Amino acid sequence: MARTRHDPVSTTIQRDERPGAAEDPSGPLLKSISPKRRDQRTPSQAVGAFFRRALLSENFILYLTIIFFVVASIFFTTLSAPRNITNQLLNMWPLLAIAIGQTFVLILGGIDLSQGATMAITSTIGGLVMSTALDASTYDKSPLWGTLISESGGILGQDPNGWAVAVVVMLLLGLLIGWLNGTMITRFNLAPFMVTLVSSTIFAAFALWLTQSRNVANLPEPFLLLGNGDIISIFLGPKLNPDIARRDVLPLITYPALISLGLAVLAHFLLTRTSFGRQMYSVGTNRRASTISGVPSQRVIIMVYMFSGFCAAVASILYSARLGIGQPSLGSGNILLDVIGAAVIGGTSLFGGKGTVKGTLFGVAFFVLLLNILNAMQLSPFIIDAVKGGIILIAALLDITRTRILNRGA
Amino acid sequence: MTRSTILTIEHISKAFFGVPAVRDVSIDVKEGEILGLIGQNGAGKSTLMNLVGGVVHPDAGSMTFRGKPYAPRRPADANDAGIGFIHQELNLFTNMTIAENVFISGFPRTGFGPFKFIDRAAMKARTRELLDQVGLDTPPDFQIERMSPGERQLVEIAKALYMDASLIIFDEPTTSLTARETEQLFNIMLRLREQGKSMIYISHILNDVLRLADSIAVMRDGQLVTQEARDAFDTRRMISLMVGRSIEQLYPTRTSAPTTTPLLELKGISAAGIVEKVNLTVHRGELVGLFGLMGSGRTELARMIFGLDRTEQGEIRVAGEALKGSSARDSIRSKIAFVTENRREEGLLMNIAIADNVTLVALPEFARTALQILDAGAMREAAREASQALQLKAADISVQPAKSLSGGNQQKVVIAKWLLSQPEVFIMDEPTRGIDVGAKYEIYAIMDRLAAAGSGVLFISSELEELMGTCDRILVMSQGEIVAQFAREAFSDEAILRAAFREHAPLHPHSGETEQSS
Amino acid sequence: MFKNLRKLSVGAGAAALLTISGAAGVAAQSDITICFGFQDLETEFWVAGHRAITETLRGQGIEVLEYNANEDPNRQLEQIRECIAQGVDGIIIIPQDGDSANTIVAEAQSNDVPIAVFNRPPNDRSAGLIAVADNVSATEQAVEFIAQKALRQYEITGEPITPLILVGALQDTNAIGRRDGFFNVINRYNERYPGLFNAPIEVATEWDAATALANLEAAITANPNVDFIFTSSDFLFPTIRSVLEPRGMWQPAGTPGHVLLAGLDGDATACMLIDQGYVDATGVQDLYLEAEMTMTSLLDAIEAGETAPNEVLLDPGFALTAGNIYFDRSDMWGCVLYDDGFLDQ
Repeated sequence: MARTRHDPVSTTIQRDERPGAAEDPSGPLLKSISPKRRDQRTPSQAVGAFFRRALLSENFILYLTIIFFVVASIFFTTLSAPRNITNQLLNMWPLLAIAIGQTFVLILGGIDLSQGATMAITSTIGGLVMSTALDASTYDKSPLWGTLISESGGILGQDPNGWAVAVVVMLLLGLLIGWLNGTMITRFNLAPFMVTLVSSTIFAAFALWLTQSRNVANLPEPFLLLGNGDIISIFLGPKLNPDIARRDVLPLITYPALISLGLAVLAHFLLTRTSFGRQMYSVGTNRRASTISGVPSQRVIIMVYMFSGFCAAVASILYSARLGIGQPSLGSGNILLDVIGAAVIGGTSLFGGKGTVKGTLFGVAFFVLLLNILNAMQLSPFIIDAVKGGIILIAALLDITRTRILNRGA
Repeated sequence: MTRSTILTIEHISKAFFGVPAVRDVSIDVKEGEILGLIGQNGAGKSTLMNLVGGVVHPDAGSMTFRGKPYAPRRPADANDAGIGFIHQELNLFTNMTIAENVFISGFPRTGFGPFKFIDRAAMKARTRELLDQVGLDTPPDFQIERMSPGERQLVEIAKALYMDASLIIFDEPTTSLTARETEQLFNIMLRLREQGKSMIYISHILNDVLRLADSIAVMRDGQLVTQEARDAFDTRRMISLMVGRSIEQLYPTRTSAPTTTPLLELKGISAAGIVEKVNLTVHRGELVGLFGLMGSGRTELARMIFGLDRTEQGEIRVAGEALKGSSARDSIRSKIAFVTENRREEGLLMNIAIADNVTLVALPEFARTALQILDAGAMREAAREASQALQLKAADISVQPAKSLSGGNQQKVVIAKWLLSQPEVFIMDEPTRGIDVGAKYEIYAIMDRLAAAGSGVLFISSELEELMGTCDRILVMSQGEIVAQFAREAFSDEAILRAAFREHAPLHPHSGETEQSS
Repeated sequence: MFKNLRKLSVGAGAAALLTISGAAGVAAQSDITICFGFQDLETEFWVAGHRAITETLRGQGIEVLEYNANEDPNRQLEQIRECIAQGVDGIIIIPQDGDSANTIVAEAQSNDVPIAVFNRPPNDRSAGLIAVADNVSATEQAVEFIAQKALRQYEITGEPITPLILVGALQDTNAIGRRDGFFNVINRYNERYPGLFNAPIEVATEWDAATALANLEAAITANPNVDFIFTSSDFLFPTIRSVLEPRGMWQPAGTPGHVLLAGLDGDATACMLIDQGYVDATGVQDLYLEAEMTMTSLLDAIEAGETAPNEVLLDPGFALTAGNIYFDRSDMWGCVLYDDGFLDQ
């Protein structure tokens, strides 16, 4: 019955030739690299491996966006028109700002459903305090009438630099809401979904109450520049006429671009270069193990939600400035679905522990392009929403597939 | 000898990322026999069983099951063919009842016409029969979450029986079982063998394998070393075959003597219902064992020392200074390290690179400037040094996730991450649980080196022999109290166990059966 | 007086038709593309408006690019920019609110694309082609109709009439205009026929059916002799019915106990209730006239090469009554929907 297939002594020698897999404490460590095995894969396996690698690649969505753009440009020539490209970039910036915040929260394994409401409340309060004139018949029912606001606008309305203070107020407000969310989540161990849903409801209602559901108009000029102002504009084409039509001047570098890209660089830096970023990934992967390893998990969670609120406030500034109004209904649509969709398309995992700013940037670009193409196809608005929903669903499925491949690979 | 073969594995191979995990392995399992499968972690046992279970697919080789070619594509194929799996981590839905778990793959239906509903009565009756077979008298509608690990194990077996498995594979089934539960499991396995079922039993506890198996297969480095009848083996031979050299001793000799300078001092630590007036001192250079049965309060005490759980009374001092604050961070600042018993959930970030795991605890030390920018070069270097010092075996610590390592190497990553914060007190809760003989030896050697360097180690274990083999002193904990202490000269397994059971409680036969060593 | 106004609006409509036929010629020659951005199609009023514009334009061979902003003014701004990038000849928007409309009009005009705003006027009416209903005028016409009936009743019985108005949310300019129109008529009649009307009862609704129900219940309980009700919006007719019916006050015209009822908007329910005789009149925005005026002015501007045409196009509205419903129902958007079976859906 006994079948000895290898003599123990000979295998011992064999092991010493192949270091790395043995468990011998006195054995040599990785001195030589084990010889590469020849690829004996069938073509179908090779194709499968290629797709797997592409799927796991950080730049997967960038390649997809580029291919998508090139192919679609053949059918819809307006897509590659310089004017359209600068337009789509302008659409991208505010979305990118929110998506970065959401990416942070998702890396933590959480979710921030209150970003929309944060945008609404920062937009209205910022708008109210910096407005240069307010109509009494509209606002005298607002609870702030007579204190922070009056007929001569908000408390900062008459100060030439009031808009800058208002911007700071908006950012602080975003941080405050994030702090509230994070504190509720960590102190009372509540589900992020629940906490942010509740705070979303409360702050959205609060914004409506403060303004009695009216928009805040008459925002100061310098503030409006933040949403639209170009710093460098270009004109493509022959200069036949000294007066170049406004529609032919393309905004190349704009304030929103600088603000959002600045935020992205900051976020990328935080995530990859600082101990805070490292701790975020670790808490998102395993909060218990992180806490035991001395990671201040509660503080990390609170700070991440604060950052998310901050990003929402930045987006709120861009949107409010662009439209020229403080808007209590800002972010009340399904913008959050777009944001989470873009982040997940960009490789952020809903299960936590995974995600990059670069990926989210690509995800947002993909999303904006997708919308642009759907619009160019002149599909019915109802179909556009359905297609968008479908794409987000596919992105979520991709996330699951990716996670599964990674788990199987090890 | 007339028994026919139920499962034949022929020249099977499997590699991950180009690294072979199983190489050209051929094994037979006979009808009605228990095959013991042993080998160190990373020897390829789990991969081999995953190949049988259809979780991964072979690169080469073939299998025959009950006379037919067998090539499972999915785990469900293995179930359908009649192969049941009892895993180390149980696959039960804890929020469901026993019966629901047994019938999870398809509930029996009853009713008329299009109106079908689940036939609960039939489900219960069948589950009752199955539970009787595995000797469990719990009602079928009992919730899994209210059951002990041992009982859950039995439910898993009942599930396999329901699937009509003719081959059941047990992967480290006793890891989380009490001695009594282990005994019960073995009795059932023997009874199943009488009924003609075949089994593969994978375990690190060699005495158990010797006791149960009819034949034993030894693996090393992804290859089969030998498959022979049980009688050809004893523990020593098994170990030398697994390790690839003859083992002179299971425990390293202590290379240093403890000092008399107190390092960690506990004075009157109490928390109602958990621990009671615990006094304990670990000196510099001392390796103190803390022995206790499950539920004796040893893990809870460790968590209190580290600041994870609250104490109600008492004082903890490290190097003469009272421990300030009560969080893991405060303890780390006071130079305490805590290797938890639960590596997977509390020790490691399984999906994250080894190097990132290693630098996690000491992260603040790599942060520069107010922005807390990390010094990537210093981190790389520190991680490399620490993993080298502990002889960690990994291809590339900066990309390979922690979960890709064997249990022993995972434990080294846990220790490495604590080493980087340069602690003086090490609390190690079951550091050798679930890791193989060779890796255990390495962990013991590391503890000895730590003590030799002047640290104090509190080594918590429920394996008395390893404490006796390694420690300078053993404290015994029972029902939240330290009930006895033994100096190295006075080590006696009988006396220690008697203390742990508080003398009057009867000694369990299995626990008493400790193998004498060194 | 009301007849004159009606003639006037018909005259405007005829003029518009003439110009449209002229514009159609332009379309045939030069492939006009119009971008139409709207907010949503969640109320019947907007369904009708959307249909009026797209069908008319497409009927003339003009290409229409449609954009739904789903009530998000920021998205509407992005969509209008996209239209501009595509080089459309003109833009029509139904904005989300008066404030964002200003920004969007400015965006289009600074890019030299003529823009018209349909029905929901920007706060600043000095820029863009702005078609807007005259709330005061439409209200006056509807209230005038029931005031005439009240006067006849007063001449027979000698009993003064007790009027009641359901007021909208007063931060809304529409609500203010409608309230003004109501009081204009009551005051005028009281001057000419002293003693005809008791002091009007004002019931606040905040444009909310539940608020309206509670306040109306209280008001009717306190003043059971109310026999003249004007609602600032037709959507409150079901609410009024639920208060009046249990008290026996929900009777068709000509039946004893009939309460004179008028409203504003002219939705499908109002059309049905006028058909059935429960409601006497409703002031209607002449949606089709507004659509015509918008399109005509925009196409004129495109033809003339104007990039920033500015004009307020005022729709005086008209009253739809039991008397004229057979003649004018095709001009009344609510009746068009009603006749299409909108209420059966």
